[in-house]
Amino acid sequence: MTKSNTLRLTCAVTAIMAAGAASADEISFLCFQNGNECDVLAGLITDFEAASGHTVAMEVVGYEIVRDQLENQLQTGAAPDVARVNNLGGLNQYYLDLTPYVDAAYMESAYGNTLPWYRAPGGEDQGIYGWPMELTVTGPYVNVTMFDDAGVEMPGDGATWDDWAAALAEVQSTLGLDAALAMDRTAHRWAGPAFSYGAAFFDDTGTPMLVDQGFRDFAETFVGWHTSGLMPADGWPAGTGTAYQNAAPLFLSGAVAMHMSGSWMISNYAENITDFEWRAVPAPCGPGGCGAMPGGAGIVAFSSTDVPEASAAFIAFLAAEENAARYAAETRSITAHAGLQAAGIDYGDTDPAVAQALSTFAGSIARAAETTPQAFTFQGYVKNFVIYGIVPDYITQVITGELSLDDALAAIDADVAAQIAE
Amino acid sequence: MWTAIGNAFLGSAWPLAFLIYLVVGAVIARPRGAIGSRAMAVLGWPIELAQKLRGHGPLPYLFLLPNLLVFGIFTFAPLFINVGFSFTEGQSINFSDRPFAGTDNWQRLLAETQIDTGAANLEDDQFYRAVMDTSVFVVFQVPIMVLFSLITALVLNRDIVARGFWRSIFFYPVMLSPVVVGFLWTLILKRQGLMSLTLMEWGWIDEPIQWLVDPSWTMFWSIFVYTWAHLGFYMLILLAGLQAIPSDLYEAAEMDGASPWRVLRKITLPLLMPTLLVVTVLSLIKAFQAFEELYAMQVGWISIVAYIFETAGLRGQTTSHGLGVAATASLIIAGALAILSIVQITLSGRNAR
Repeated sequence: MTKSNTLRLTCAVTAIMAAGAASADEISFLCFQNGNECDVLAGLITDFEAASGHTVAMEVVGYEIVRDQLENQLQTGAAPDVARVNNLGGLNQYYLDLTPYVDAAYMESAYGNTLPWYRAPGGEDQGIYGWPMELTVTGPYVNVTMFDDAGVEMPGDGATWDDWAAALAEVQSTLGLDAALAMDRTAHRWAGPAFSYGAAFFDDTGTPMLVDQGFRDFAETFVGWHTSGLMPADGWPAGTGTAYQNAAPLFLSGAVAMHMSGSWMISNYAENITDFEWRAVPAPCGPGGCGAMPGGAGIVAFSSTDVPEASAAFIAFLAAEENAARYAAETRSITAHAGLQAAGIDYGDTDPAVAQALSTFAGSIARAAETTPQAFTFQGYVKNFVIYGIVPDYITQVITGELSLDDALAAIDADVAAQIAE
Repeated sequence: MWTAIGNAFLGSAWPLAFLIYLVVGAVIARPRGAIGSRAMAVLGWPIELAQKLRGHGPLPYLFLLPNLLVFGIFTFAPLFINVGFSFTEGQSINFSDRPFAGTDNWQRLLAETQIDTGAANLEDDQFYRAVMDTSVFVVFQVPIMVLFSLITALVLNRDIVARGFWRSIFFYPVMLSPVVVGFLWTLILKRQGLMSLTLMEWGWIDEPIQWLVDPSWTMFWSIFVYTWAHLGFYMLILLAGLQAIPSDLYEAAEMDGASPWRVLRKITLPLLMPTLLVVTVLSLIKAFQAFEELYAMQVGWISIVAYIFETAGLRGQTTSHGLGVAATASLIIAGALAILSIVQITLSGRNAR
């Protein structure tokens, strides 16, 4: 090809692309992933682009970017059109109401249970703000191989946290482990067990009132688990302030026999655990019920977008039943789609641990809804992220001996009240 | 390659604009002489023109302008924004959404009673704790840093074997990114890390120690790693200071039969004093701002910068007034640092005279 031909061709392509831009919009999409969520979305985006003519520019970033920077981007008008978020209610003021653009009746019938998590508090807001892409729920994973090696029988369905603690202590002493139970450093994982011990978290008016007898009981037990060495020194005590810490590396490396985490880890564990058998177990119970924290991530559009129709069309495309089914199957997540929940997702996975984990977690959500409804209040509470950090801050100081339990509990209530004050 | 160049220039106006610029230059400057000076005249005609019109007076300011702009945007603007944040409240970073709050943030940070809830305030305790912990770090780290960088510089200034090699060994950690330093030492100091395993092998300890978190060790290792990482920089400044001392002074001392200790006390240290002052002030300010290495190592105490970082909501837990409270805290620290530096310079200045 001669030089001038190349030049002509370049000009022609540029012209065609410029002309095409007038009828099709480009949607900027910010995505974060724990496992393969964005990879699966990339497949769905290809279909969307073919069907609609719009293009989607997806940027995959670490979760910390979304958590720490997205709100500032929104405040300064530098935000993407569409993003995957999990601080659902907290970003409400920035969402684009999709009601005029999407089939509202379908969204309500399919996602009616989770759409309120995206709305402003008070019950007057009836907007549709996004596609609830998945439900998550907290719960423990166990290292089955360790229980087998130690010859300890795993507590069955309906077992309490005390039963589990006793069994884990036996595994720990038999195998000579440094620790047996690890938990991510956030009150989001802490809340489920606290609900089991009877903590209510909210008073009758819906105001956070964390410290009650149940909360105190679990705090005492939790500190005791650290004193006795059941929980590791490189878990909660290794963090400072309100910092989050993921305990998955301890479980992956075989340092502990149980990891209190949640359903979002299924795909990671299915992929990365090869040298032992793992299993998700139902959320342990207690006098207050069988507590587990529900949650979820969703894809939302922001009111600052220049392309509201295209953004809404993208979200509506993803929310369609067949695409939601494909997303759930490929990411091995629990769908938020009511029809699919009833019909069941065909995960088509040969790994029995994955199927077992998914059904266990789905069962935990149902049981939490029945026995510990405050879990859903906590999930829907707009400022829950503040509470997630404050509890580890003070409980850690009790574990390291810097504060007495009474002082720490008083401080938690006072600090939460101060941080949520308008 | 031609396609790439074509893509870069097609549809852009600047090649044409540059051509016009050169033509204007050729007309105005009317270049003469060798080819090099002709090219310079054509390229730099705005400067020549400015000089012709206004003389040499304003020229230095023109050259200062780029640096001033960068400094203004990235240093002075944030400073003023910070002052603004400390006197307004709210979660937004836009001043249009931040109502004036007077001294509310100062009370939220320092008062005994929390003004929003009426209960006892906890923020002041957290702030004082961060200040106290950071002070302990500074009080030990700065003298240790100055002492060791002085010793290292004195040794490496002598005529020892492979002097260049040793100098680069001590300077090498300065070139590492702080996060790399943090991760490197985490590998050594974590519970199952190299240090615990080795000491257990030797039978010195019975069970692994969490060096970075254990309350009795965390400060020691923070100071150790921070000194290790920054020693080379201060050593380099002191080496330059040592080499600026005239050698005839040493020769004269040698002829007079002065002992090495006397030479150090009467010649080296007095003449090195200005450099030592620079090193002390710099390392003091740096120690107060210590953050990256400590953050990457997840040490068991909260430094003042970590406190500000966290309170401002930069870890995703934005609170209603966190940004204002954090801005207030940073202003207090900046003020304290400024006073400390001035006092130090004044005192040392008097001594030097």
